[in-house]
Amino acid sequence: MNNTSPPQQQISMEQALAQAHAHWNAGQADQAERLCQHVLAIWPGQSDASHLMGLMAHAYGNLPVAIDHLQRACQAPRVPATYLSNLAEMCRQAGRLADAEAAGRRAIAIDHTLVAGWNNLGIILQEAGKLDESLTCLEQVVMLKPEYAEAQNNLGNTLKRLGRLDDARRHYEAALQLVPTYAEALSNLSNLLTDLGQQDLAVRYARQAIDINPRLADAYINAAAAEQSRGNDEETLRWIDKLLSFQPQHVGALVVRSVPLRRLERLEEALDTARRAATFAPDNGEALVAMGEALQALGRTADALAAYDKATKLPGLALEKALVNRGICLMEVGERDAARAAFEQVLASFPRSVAAWFNLADLVTFKAGDPAIASMAALLTPGGIEVPGDRIALHFALGKALLDTGETDGAFRHFAEGNRLKRATINYNPDDVSGWLQAISAAFPASAFDPSGFAEAGADADLPVFVVGMPRSGTTLVEQVLATHSQVQGGGELSTLSQLVGRLGPYPAILERMGPAELAGLSEQYLSRVRPQANGRRRFVDKMPSNFFYAGLIARAMPQSRIIHVRRNPADTCLSCYTKLFTREQQFTYDLTELGRFHGDYEQLMAHWRAVLPPDRFLEIDYEALVSDFEPQARRLIAFLGLEWEPACLEFHKTRRIIRTASVNQAREPIFTGSVGRARRLAPYLAPLLAALGTQELLTASAPDAEAKPRRTARKPKAASEPVA
Amino acid sequence: MDFKEIELKAPALLAAGRGAEVEAMVAPLLSNGGGPAPLWAFLAQALRVQCRIAEAARVQEMLVDALPGHVSTRFDLAESLLALGEYERGWREYSYRYSLNHTYRIERKVQLPRWDGRPIPGKVLLIHDEQGYGDTFQFMRMVSWAKARSGAQVILEVNHETHSLATRMGGFDALTLRGELPPAFDLHCEMMSLPMVMGLKLSDLPGTIPYLSPDPARVQHWRKRLAGVGGLKVAVVWAGRPTHFNDANRSMTLASLAPLAQEGVTFLSIQKGPSEGDVAKPPPGMKIIGLSSEIRDFEDTAAILTVADLLISVDSSPVHLAGALGRPAWVMLPFLPDWRWLLNREDTPWYPSVRLFRQPAWGDWPGLVRKVAGALAELRAAGPGKRPA
Repeated sequence: MNNTSPPQQQISMEQALAQAHAHWNAGQADQAERLCQHVLAIWPGQSDASHLMGLMAHAYGNLPVAIDHLQRACQAPRVPATYLSNLAEMCRQAGRLADAEAAGRRAIAIDHTLVAGWNNLGIILQEAGKLDESLTCLEQVVMLKPEYAEAQNNLGNTLKRLGRLDDARRHYEAALQLVPTYAEALSNLSNLLTDLGQQDLAVRYARQAIDINPRLADAYINAAAAEQSRGNDEETLRWIDKLLSFQPQHVGALVVRSVPLRRLERLEEALDTARRAATFAPDNGEALVAMGEALQALGRTADALAAYDKATKLPGLALEKALVNRGICLMEVGERDAARAAFEQVLASFPRSVAAWFNLADLVTFKAGDPAIASMAALLTPGGIEVPGDRIALHFALGKALLDTGETDGAFRHFAEGNRLKRATINYNPDDVSGWLQAISAAFPASAFDPSGFAEAGADADLPVFVVGMPRSGTTLVEQVLATHSQVQGGGELSTLSQLVGRLGPYPAILERMGPAELAGLSEQYLSRVRPQANGRRRFVDKMPSNFFYAGLIARAMPQSRIIHVRRNPADTCLSCYTKLFTREQQFTYDLTELGRFHGDYEQLMAHWRAVLPPDRFLEIDYEALVSDFEPQARRLIAFLGLEWEPACLEFHKTRRIIRTASVNQAREPIFTGSVGRARRLAPYLAPLLAALGTQELLTASAPDAEAKPRRTARKPKAASEPVA
Repeated sequence: MDFKEIELKAPALLAAGRGAEVEAMVAPLLSNGGGPAPLWAFLAQALRVQCRIAEAARVQEMLVDALPGHVSTRFDLAESLLALGEYERGWREYSYRYSLNHTYRIERKVQLPRWDGRPIPGKVLLIHDEQGYGDTFQFMRMVSWAKARSGAQVILEVNHETHSLATRMGGFDALTLRGELPPAFDLHCEMMSLPMVMGLKLSDLPGTIPYLSPDPARVQHWRKRLAGVGGLKVAVVWAGRPTHFNDANRSMTLASLAPLAQEGVTFLSIQKGPSEGDVAKPPPGMKIIGLSSEIRDFEDTAAILTVADLLISVDSSPVHLAGALGRPAWVMLPFLPDWRWLLNREDTPWYPSVRLFRQPAWGDWPGLVRKVAGALAELRAAGPGKRPA
């Protein structure tokens, strides 16, 4: 930049300021700064000059210095409202929401007609979670200046956070009508479409936003969110990594990144990425929540709770999530009363928190007339919850609550609706699945179990114990019993094996290419992943039920490992599946006919495994037998693991272990027989299922008296051996 | 060879023009179509260094698709696309030139909106030049086009050095100097964003030539000064501004021009900067007059180019001045030339009076100089009054 003569001494302060502004308008920062400094030398802290210095620092990306200048500018007794409004926005950008709100409120107090002031305060309040007030501000702006695209977009954001999705969409579209290349509005609309379950369109809008502005971080986050909501973890990571490639310290990206990592069981990475987010933004509630979730997944409950507690003390939108997660965390370690209190605390502040209702419904047993039931039902009426995924969760929660109270008609109306809505979001072809399961059988003929084709066994080759079966068949209970033993580490439901197999190529076709070396490689990879989680114990339980797909592969790759198949009455199992909304994609449980058919396919595959697997490595246990005649069955399990019996195994429910499956609240009960034979009682609602299963199954089941009230074994361990039905 | 080793070795090899070796290093790691982005970036550079720009562009497009927010990749892609004459996307990607880590702070942060190419009658449009003098000379032609397209009052802002030449150009309503407070305006546009917002195509070039003219008084002065010089008068420049990022590849020495020396040719050194003193020790047999110390500004350069028969120059601002004046110029280009000279052609759509000589291989100035010497001999043989081209 070329030098111009310095401002002459005789120039008046007004002239100097006017020139400074004109220079800055023309992008001539040096000249503008020189004039500002000239003014500030004569009048230190002069408001207009300080303000302009702040705007320039902001334009060059120096936010702290900018705020510093603006705070000085705003000390003037007759400070213009605009300066306060600009200070408010910069404080918001710096994450200083309290300062931002204070400045924003001062701005509109001084000038009630300042459109930018209402707008800035509106987004500050939105970020602070004060959504009703935010709405008031932004509606005011849109009224004063309907052609203000940014305000339409901001109003859309607040409406979206209020759950008013249709209204939000209208305002985003209004913004885009005004400015079709408005990247932020495209990105926000993308996010809204994810909530509406339209992921394809959501990704398309996010892409469009990125085409217009490749540096728009939110568009990457929203593309990632769309992929995440359809369970596409790898694609989610790809979008986030695109963003991190140019903004490696983006807190939101790091927060989002921790979720797929957690789901892919890369837990240490998930924690690391969340911790980095929290380091860059110590006051960011979302970062603390992400850290808590990673810690929770790692089983570090106390640390997780501490992170959530800290998050609840920060302003912002993470509060609800932090409180809900605290409740879930308490639920997982069996602190039922504390968990209940936590969810009730959430609902006191956020009566529309579907996550809180859903978990509360799972936790408590409702009595007829419980006001919670009416509250949940009200959320499904017009003006209630609009997010489709949340409505599905409410239907399941209400179904569960009404089932508790014995209002079975109502309960099944909600289950039917919840399942129907959920099924509509899933691509599932039962013919393909039947064919796949048959192909698995065919890929493992008896001759495949000739020990010469097995992988070589390493030193701790007998570490893994796989507990498999249908979901809701009692695998959690079996793991819980095993894990009470001092030499057994429970590992929970791991997707490790399916991930490792998936990497090799399409299963079971890959079998053709797998010789002893490949099998040994798979074994070593699996062992190296689980070994660190085993805490030095002799057995490690992986209770991913769907590992039954791989039972033959497990036996060939890890011939020293053990497989336990948990069996349960088919109708009871399927009923339990049908009444559950799974957190992970479990695609076959949302239609009674498909569910029955899947169960038949599963039984066929298990019959095949029974015929071909080495009997000393494969044990089958009946859930009904376990709950009605506990000790002998528990002894059978421990003996199968090649371990000495320990009396503590009778007190499995006291284990302070973390349970993180759909069965979280049952496994905490001492032996619970209430769900045995439940399907018989509810048969009228299950006709398509029973037809698909064949009624034979139901009639021959070793179900106890169908009319028996749910009974529990006494709390004393010995009582478990008493007949309960 | 693994990634770490490649990362260590590739940069030096690329700087030395050994693209084929780097290509051979990375290719095995990329053979299955996967591989980390930095390796693909090395491949793109390796292809560029071999002047295989079309192939490089396809890799860069893939990288941009994978990492859309990585703007330096976008800028690299812009250079390839513009060199290929793929102007539509090329100019768009070129708009990221101020989003790079080292350029963000030098972007002029004008607080009023950028013109988007649509008519804005009744408004005032500020068009401001950017960094290099050559850029300004090359893109000044678009000012009158922008005025016609926008229907606006146009203020042209240029640097001090090009100011008086701009004064005579016309096509604007007011002229202002960089650093001075411009008159009030409504919208702005960087001079080199005009191609993007106006959708400049190759077929739009060159427009009216000449669009710059010398100062008659200066021409008279230089005619007198050079009256005693007989034969072919060839102005010569062998080095560009040393601070230019690519100067090592585009600049040469006076000594390396020795083969150009021949009977009946007098060279006029208009070289400016640290190597202008080379003229004191010319190669044997070369008749050369050093004019550098007498050149006060671009007005003198323009007048000399008007009086001389030809300019022979490396890729530097006098080339653009000659082209804008419609004066004959021969440009000596490195193997991997700047995007503005396109590829595989001896002419340029930007300037009908300019002829291009390209290095036949990386760093091969001698091969290029031989070709220039041959062309010069032909020109001299054709006799006086024959326009070189």
